[in-house]
Amino acid sequence: MSIRVCLASCLTILVSGISFSSGVVRADDKPTAPVTIEVGQDPAAGFLLAPKVFRASVKKVLPSVVIIESFGGVTSTSRKGRIRGISRPGDGPTTGLIVSADGYVVTSTFNFIRQPPVITVVLQDGRQFIAKLMGRDLTRKICILKLEGAKELPVPEFVDTKTVRVGQWSISVGFGYGDQDPAMSAGIISGKNRVSGKAIQTDSNISPANYGGPLIDIEGRVLGVCVPLNPRSQGTGSGVEWYDSGIGFAIPLAGTEKLLAALKAGKTLRKGGLGVNLKPAKDGVGVLKVVPKSPAAKAGIKVGDKLIAINEHKLIDGLQMRSVMGRFYAGDKVKVHLERDGKPMVIDVVLEVVVVPKPKAKRKIKKKATPKKPLSN
Amino acid sequence: MQVKNSRSSWFERTSQLCRTTSQAALLAIFVAGLPTLATAEIKSGPFAKSIAYAQARIVKIYGAGIGRQEGYATGIIISSDGRILTTQGVFLAGGSIRVVLPNGDRHYALVERRSHPLQAAILKLDSPPDVPAVDTPEYFEITETPAAQKGDWVMGISNAFKVANGSERLSVTLGVVSLRTQLEAKRGASDVDYDQDVLLIDCITSNPGAPGGAVITVDGRLAGMIGKVIESKSTQTRLNYAVPNDLLYKFLIGEPIKSTAPKTYTGGKKAVLGIRLFTLGGRRAPAYIDRVKPGSPAAKAGLRSDDLILSIGGKRVRYASEYKKLLAQLEPGKPVTIIVKRKAKAITIQVTPEAAEK
Repeated sequence: MSIRVCLASCLTILVSGISFSSGVVRADDKPTAPVTIEVGQDPAAGFLLAPKVFRASVKKVLPSVVIIESFGGVTSTSRKGRIRGISRPGDGPTTGLIVSADGYVVTSTFNFIRQPPVITVVLQDGRQFIAKLMGRDLTRKICILKLEGAKELPVPEFVDTKTVRVGQWSISVGFGYGDQDPAMSAGIISGKNRVSGKAIQTDSNISPANYGGPLIDIEGRVLGVCVPLNPRSQGTGSGVEWYDSGIGFAIPLAGTEKLLAALKAGKTLRKGGLGVNLKPAKDGVGVLKVVPKSPAAKAGIKVGDKLIAINEHKLIDGLQMRSVMGRFYAGDKVKVHLERDGKPMVIDVVLEVVVVPKPKAKRKIKKKATPKKPLSN
Repeated sequence: MQVKNSRSSWFERTSQLCRTTSQAALLAIFVAGLPTLATAEIKSGPFAKSIAYAQARIVKIYGAGIGRQEGYATGIIISSDGRILTTQGVFLAGGSIRVVLPNGDRHYALVERRSHPLQAAILKLDSPPDVPAVDTPEYFEITETPAAQKGDWVMGISNAFKVANGSERLSVTLGVVSLRTQLEAKRGASDVDYDQDVLLIDCITSNPGAPGGAVITVDGRLAGMIGKVIESKSTQTRLNYAVPNDLLYKFLIGEPIKSTAPKTYTGGKKAVLGIRLFTLGGRRAPAYIDRVKPGSPAAKAGLRSDDLILSIGGKRVRYASEYKKLLAQLEPGKPVTIIVKRKAKAITIQVTPEAAEK
């Protein structure tokens, strides 16, 4: 009997001793925390070590992150560039990211909404340069600055978007609060190929505090540049209303050499359009009206045509076509696949900025029911 | 079973041993299967313990509201004799502040002390004359050294939007510390008088009812108290932040909290540089130099007309009006670094201000 008890208790002590000694790790070594966290074999243990990794990642990319200081400019914005969600643009410094060693910095067009005549850039090593605004991509809300007289600048590593996975850690970094030390926000990648394929989506806080700054992974590599975006509107300030909301966007730069070259050369890239008003159709979109002198008119698209696809993108309805068209710049040449009188055709169109002529003002006193505004792309 | 047959004795002994071993093994498995601390954490995650610790030490506060300012907030129990730490606010005005403890008990409370620099207040739970004073054995110990650094996990625990009632648990959000810094803050159209450090965090705490709540670390330490809803002048966005615990510590021990606003120099004669700024643009125009007085410190240092002053002593000069403010902080005889833009170059110049004539 006593042998049995002895054996049993020995085994018990042995087994419980194993589970208690599986590793006690304090979250840090400050004195007497009221709660002890045992990491042990907890699969979420890595979670507790994440802050160390976050700090190290920010430290790795920091030499390439710059502080932008703007001087002068308009203090109130026109109605077109009106900003929702914040009362007016802040007057603190903003953030940028070095993209080439010979002195080019990428940032967000949001940071220059006041159109400041003087822009300076301060590097982490203390050097300060006068910067010149070169090209802008109005669809991606990014722009490039040239730093006068700068050379041998530290360039960060950019991640190929194909390797980015939804759910992986992401950290946004920015100097917008005005401190020499940047602010950081941790989150995950929420989606890829957002806003007509232009952006990755994250729930890291994205706001004027880090627009123009990098969104990095936990190896300190750049996933994208933080910008305000809203799929439904184009203005420089649109998307700001979603600051710190859990919906944030960043523009990946890996593989965008052609785009960056155009921006370095000072080009302004705008959204390209066809110039057609649409109506619903089966397996495509019907052309209701062709805007005079538009790219569609010049290329020979006619009323009654049914548009089937643009390049390799099949068209489903007007809303989806707007999303497809969002991928193209003015100046891009696209193949429009359409059906005319039952016969398939392909027409090459060079897209341009389409201006829809405003309808003439009605002077009648009696109020008429205004017709629904047709979709135009 | 005492009779032993020599032929089957080894069999019996072996089977007895087997039985013993299996019984011991079963017992051991049973004991190992009991929830040890490690196993419990695998099921509930790394934050459950600190949250449970904190929930027992945070209260709901209700008081008077005025207009758009809500009449409810959160508070932190900081002593065993019923003292509560919370933010200054409209809900403290008027006679009746009601505190609901984690167990659902309701008490009235009185304001004992306030801190204007921290926008904080300490309440004491009140009890009728014949009733013994309220006991709050579970409370937060506020420590002298900052409990959290940038990047650390933190949880904001509060009664945002009055979601929790009575003894219901408070709402918890998770994030990391974004930055500890000083801010230029505003609330709506007016400037805010808070010039101390803030702990900016990236979890959402900027909501009605949250001020006075606790920001805790993974091991249950109080990193800060959720502050009143304010906006940053730098970004024009609402801030999620906490008043850091080391500042709260100073408030509790009665140490005065010094203002951090830079002071104008009052040690004698004012400093002059000999710069006249271009004034046509107004107070909010950039600080372009119109004229440099011959023989003045600016002239000796090499500053010229049309230079644009970018910074003085490392502080950015956004407008002509800021130049005046920074000039008032300079000391005669003490050299200062000025960075100017001249054509397309940023030039760093050392200038030594002199004492004003009069």
